[in-house]
Amino acid sequence: MKYKDYYASLGLERSASEEDVKKAYRRLARKYHPDVSKETGAEEKFKEIAEAYQTLKDPEKRAAYDQLGSHAPGQDFQPPPDWRQQYSESPFSAEDLDLSDLFAHLHAGAGRSGARRSRPGQDFEIAVAITIEQAFQGTQLDLDLNMPEYDAAGRLHRTPHAFKARIPKGATDGQRLRLPGKGGKGLNGGRDGDLYLNISLRPHPLYRATGHDLYLDLPLAPWEAVLGTAVEVPTPGGVVRLKVPPGTQAGRHLRLPNRGLPKPKEGQGDLYAIVQIVVPSVIGDAERDLYQKLSTDSGFDPRAHFATEAGHAN
Amino acid sequence: MQIEVTEVLWFEQHELSLPELAELSGLPMTLAEELLDCGAIAPLELRRARADLRFGSAALRAARAARRLRSDFELDLQALVLALGLLERVADLEAQLRELRARQPQPIL
Repeated sequence: MKYKDYYASLGLERSASEEDVKKAYRRLARKYHPDVSKETGAEEKFKEIAEAYQTLKDPEKRAAYDQLGSHAPGQDFQPPPDWRQQYSESPFSAEDLDLSDLFAHLHAGAGRSGARRSRPGQDFEIAVAITIEQAFQGTQLDLDLNMPEYDAAGRLHRTPHAFKARIPKGATDGQRLRLPGKGGKGLNGGRDGDLYLNISLRPHPLYRATGHDLYLDLPLAPWEAVLGTAVEVPTPGGVVRLKVPPGTQAGRHLRLPNRGLPKPKEGQGDLYAIVQIVVPSVIGDAERDLYQKLSTDSGFDPRAHFATEAGHAN
Repeated sequence: MQIEVTEVLWFEQHELSLPELAELSGLPMTLAEELLDCGAIAPLELRRARADLRFGSAALRAARAARRLRSDFELDLQALVLALGLLERVADLEAQLRELRARQPQPIL
């Protein structure tokens, strides 16, 4: 079993008072709680803090922890033989156990003789990032989880669980999936916990997703926007032809119905091509002449409204 | 090691009764009822007898957040209702921001 320094996790000395422990936890929980924090790695950090607090806030658990002695964090160690007899409710195998499991199931004194109560298994929640292509087609994820579990002999172990979860098409950013019974095993007839997957979409070089709709920037040359054209547009389902009407302004949203991400039950989001008018950064002499001619011949005044609006103001 | 393939359930398609909501979120039933009374957890349709109320994914999400916040911050009912309300507003604003960003063309370099 690897040693963890719970005092260091909370930034405390070993001599810290109960009040100090509580204050340190409150301060750090406010900063790292995954429901309120946007810091990167907040979830991992909070787990560490919460684990330390669970043990140190309880005087009996804290005493048991203190008697494990002080080791370097991450160092392999064994609880002393009399420690097991004094504190542990059930036999355990220290090799493949996490320190947190030991303290979560530690019932010093009173709990030991009590009847075995049924307890539901722990729920787990993990974040998974998928690509827009995977959301479009559906995908299969390889999940590797380490969960505390009791074996047939009632000994506590950390058991690795590897399984594949089939994500049907229709998942999108912020969506959650539930895998019933895939969390921690229930105890003494309690139901197995669930596993929740929080889906996020990885950034895509072309598409931006909101819900099941996708947005794509569609660059057009000035003459394409003026004269109209038909362009080939990539969509997750393949290239489609899009008609750009003459006189298309920059910023217009051209809608491609049902070309966005599929929805879970039925239907599909839309894809919007946002028109951008782009100009060449380098032009040849012939092009320059054409632009010159256009500049001379055109009666178009893109800022005509400046004059009228300014007139109203006076 | 044996690899099994697991089917997943859409969170969005859940319809739960209040006891199921309490069980799945790990909230005590009395607290789930109090959160319902305060409007912190909303049923899919309001005009029903309490025993017939059904709850969707938003309610399960709120209930699970309530369970976490309550145990991790030792919040009482008032503080819990306040925190859930604020979290919901943050989530709404984030969704709006995400949509606005998606609709915003990227600058041309």
